[in-house]
Amino acid sequence: MACDKIEELLTAYTDGELGPGERAVVERHLEACPDCAALLASLRAADATLARFPEVEPPADLREKLYAIPARRRFRFGLDVLLRPALQPALAAAAVFLTLFTFYIFSPAKAQINEAISRQFHLGYSQVEKLYAKAGSLTDSLGGFADNVFVSLKKINPLGKNDE
Amino acid sequence: MNLEAIIRDCLDGREGAWKMLVDLYSKKIFNMSYQFAGSFQEAEDLTQDIFIKLHRALSKYDFGKNFTAWFLTLAKNYLIDEYRRTKWEKRQRDDFDEQIASAAAADDPEHGLVGEENRRMLWRGLNDLPNDMRMALILKEIQGKTYEEVAEILGLPVGTVKSRINRGRLQLAKILKDRKENAHGL
Repeated sequence: MACDKIEELLTAYTDGELGPGERAVVERHLEACPDCAALLASLRAADATLARFPEVEPPADLREKLYAIPARRRFRFGLDVLLRPALQPALAAAAVFLTLFTFYIFSPAKAQINEAISRQFHLGYSQVEKLYAKAGSLTDSLGGFADNVFVSLKKINPLGKNDE
Repeated sequence: MNLEAIIRDCLDGREGAWKMLVDLYSKKIFNMSYQFAGSFQEAEDLTQDIFIKLHRALSKYDFGKNFTAWFLTLAKNYLIDEYRRTKWEKRQRDDFDEQIASAAAADDPEHGLVGEENRRMLWRGLNDLPNDMRMALILKEIQGKTYEEVAEILGLPVGTVKSRINRGRLQLAKILKDRKENAHGL
């Protein structure tokens, strides 16, 4: 039998899985072929080495990192909720507000800003007052107009009779 | 406490149960990652990733199945996917360094220079194997699983697993044989 065929049988031979006929063929070949005999010796050495391959100890802090996984994932879940797309406009508005607020708090011209805000506030307030007064006078004139209309309607005599 | 109870407690969010699961499997998963990837640092990251995947997937575990086989399948899938994605085959394995040498000395105090040299050669040789073959060989020959257990983890027929492992053993044997011949100047 050729060496490549024997090679295919070597692992089964080592594991004792060959029948008596095939085993005898392999053994006859091994006696005559130093190359295949050397391969068999290496196969046995490799098997023995792999079987005694040592287990290494994991790094000391790895176990602590693995213990912390549930807590880390809960924290991450919280972040995921905060970063939902639906909340992005609100977060953007909050970011703008905080930026302006920070600018206001740390601005050296804080007094001027306060004054400007106060001025704008009073201007706005007086505008509202004026509008309110206008609305009041408009209501009064509308009321007067309505009264006139009622009086005029009373004076109309559709039959041409004069009540007075 | 049996494994099923530990898993149920994990699903109920009991932290102690998760720690028990970590204690039971962290060394096994770390070693599997290290033997597969060949890098100590890489194995640490991979082990963390695998346990994160486990935490995420635990609710999908079918209690009718063998948990160890299910978890090792999850680990194997992750390792092979990462291997394909990041092309580790282009990287070098760590040298047969102090980590292995010191563990080997503790496990086998009578190991000689030949044994150490064989381990060094096989450690490097593992990288030359295709990843599916390497994984099968690690599970069977290094981690000591049976062919049936390896077949369950890899999701392959026993015959396919057997032939894959045998081809891997033969390839590693050729590496050792070549080294011996080179050492003797043949």
